[in-house]
Amino acid sequence: MMGPPARVVVAGLGSEFRRDDGAGPLVAERAVTRAGRGTVIGPLADPLDLLGEWDDADLAVVVDAVHSGRVPGTLTTVELVDGPDGELPGGHRGSSSTHGIGLAGVLRLARAVDRAPRRVVVVGIEGDDFGQGTGLSPAVQAAVPAAVSCVVDLIEGGAPCA
Amino acid sequence: MTHGSGVRRTIGVEGISRVEGEGSLRVEVRDGTVTDVALDIFEPPRYFEALLVGRHFTEAPDITARICGICPVAYQMSACAAMEDACGVAVDRRVQSLRRLLYCGEWIQSHALHIYLLHAPDFLGCADAVELAERDRGAVERGLDIKRTGNLVMSTVGGRAVHPVNVKVGGFYRAPDRDAVAALREPLARARDDALATVTWVSGFDFPDVVGDYRFVALRDPGRYPIEVGRPASSEGLDLSPAEFADLAVEEHVEHSTALHARLAGRDPYLTGPLARFALNAGVLPPVAFEAAAAAGLGQGCSNPFQSILVRSVELVFACDEALALVEAYEPPDPPATEVMPRPGVGTGVTEAPRGLLLHQYEIDADGTIVKARIMPPTSQNQLTIEADLRRVVERGLDLDDADLQWRCEQTVRNHDPCISCAAHFLDVSVVTT
Repeated sequence: MMGPPARVVVAGLGSEFRRDDGAGPLVAERAVTRAGRGTVIGPLADPLDLLGEWDDADLAVVVDAVHSGRVPGTLTTVELVDGPDGELPGGHRGSSSTHGIGLAGVLRLARAVDRAPRRVVVVGIEGDDFGQGTGLSPAVQAAVPAAVSCVVDLIEGGAPCA
Repeated sequence: MTHGSGVRRTIGVEGISRVEGEGSLRVEVRDGTVTDVALDIFEPPRYFEALLVGRHFTEAPDITARICGICPVAYQMSACAAMEDACGVAVDRRVQSLRRLLYCGEWIQSHALHIYLLHAPDFLGCADAVELAERDRGAVERGLDIKRTGNLVMSTVGGRAVHPVNVKVGGFYRAPDRDAVAALREPLARARDDALATVTWVSGFDFPDVVGDYRFVALRDPGRYPIEVGRPASSEGLDLSPAEFADLAVEEHVEHSTALHARLAGRDPYLTGPLARFALNAGVLPPVAFEAAAAAGLGQGCSNPFQSILVRSVELVFACDEALALVEAYEPPDPPATEVMPRPGVGTGVTEAPRGLLLHQYEIDADGTIVKARIMPPTSQNQLTIEADLRRVVERGLDLDDADLQWRCEQTVRNHDPCISCAAHFLDVSVVTT
């Protein structure tokens, strides 16, 4: 069993004003409070804001609501490691965004200038309602305790939960 | 034309997006002529205006800061200015200076991000910032260093770099101590050097030879480049109080967009942002920024939208230099905030967000409850002008294939750094040809 990583950051991506999109920041905040260690980043509207905030961390946990067609509330953890083709999961190279680039792009950028965290684990919570407004949908609300435990385990050196 | 009658060209975009479908561009071409350009940018302020009604006036800075992840300070500053106007309060000079320092931090991080990570790749033939980092690592490192200094200013004054928590109506919850502010001196001096190198770097880019016919609107603050205070002015000689400007800038709903489009006097599109600020205020830039602009070939104004990156670089020099001067002169405000008691009335606040003028207007009752809220972000003010730019670009690029035309359109949008990122992370482009 590995010991807990020395420097941990936990980033919450999303907006509490887009209902389930607020799950990431909520879980990040609660997990760091419960673990009693680690630094919260966020709420982040754009993964680019990770640059400068997660530099040189031993572990960065990024918590975000996702929309993949699974049952709302389902947790998914993905460790961002290079695949056989040298590409990170979750993103193609080019981006047509007028503002941001995706999480995988931000990590590639951080690596290109040697400012990346040693490990990056994404904890995704399947969302149901991304409309305007505050408050999580019942399924996502019910998944919050498990998501918090998942992040706490990671902070304490455990393996990804799902 | 390369496309036959009735053929619909849809250029899909596989953006990495958490909240999809909220930024799109639709172009209609008939007989080789562009007949319609519709840019649809989702704008959260409409929702926030409704959310604010019934809330206490002191909540406005923190609630509206959540509208935009890139310029929360701008929302906080315009909200504070509007509420203080409504309540008839003028804040302490030292509070004003500390606000300006915090706002400089936001300008620094926002401009560095846009210049290096989003806009420069367009000019260097790179798909994105990752490719730029692989080709010119030193440049990207310089940009990230500057951005980090902006974040440092924001966390020192605002409590944290993302969504600062130290701002309140009347001032700050707590004034940073002298040592913490003095520690910003060295990073800011380095950032100013890096910003000067940025101007030199960007001035070497190849810019398309385009001149826009713009009506510029920006704040003017006598003797100073405008940031957190000033009177709205235009390139055609308007000089207005914030309330007069709020009356003159009429927003209208258009069918294709969830956003409102602003016109002056219900008639004329206009442009806010770096080009407008520079056109109306270049003469009051501090010498280091003014000389950098002159060395880069900028005169007293610039109407080439592709050169907005150059003007933004000059503003980066200004923001670093201004922050440094504010750090040198720092006196902690004591108390850190003026007490603000509510009274019934209407208040208007305008400040210069990194991407343009941001107006807040609130009506509050005797208890300080918000009765009515109006938020006019730079993007809704610029939207009609961006559409006009796009029309020009598409007319000149009808022979391009889908990918090249899409790229040209996106670059045109990026020239004005619109605040799409609040809710949408991609631009979906479709061209309909008949």
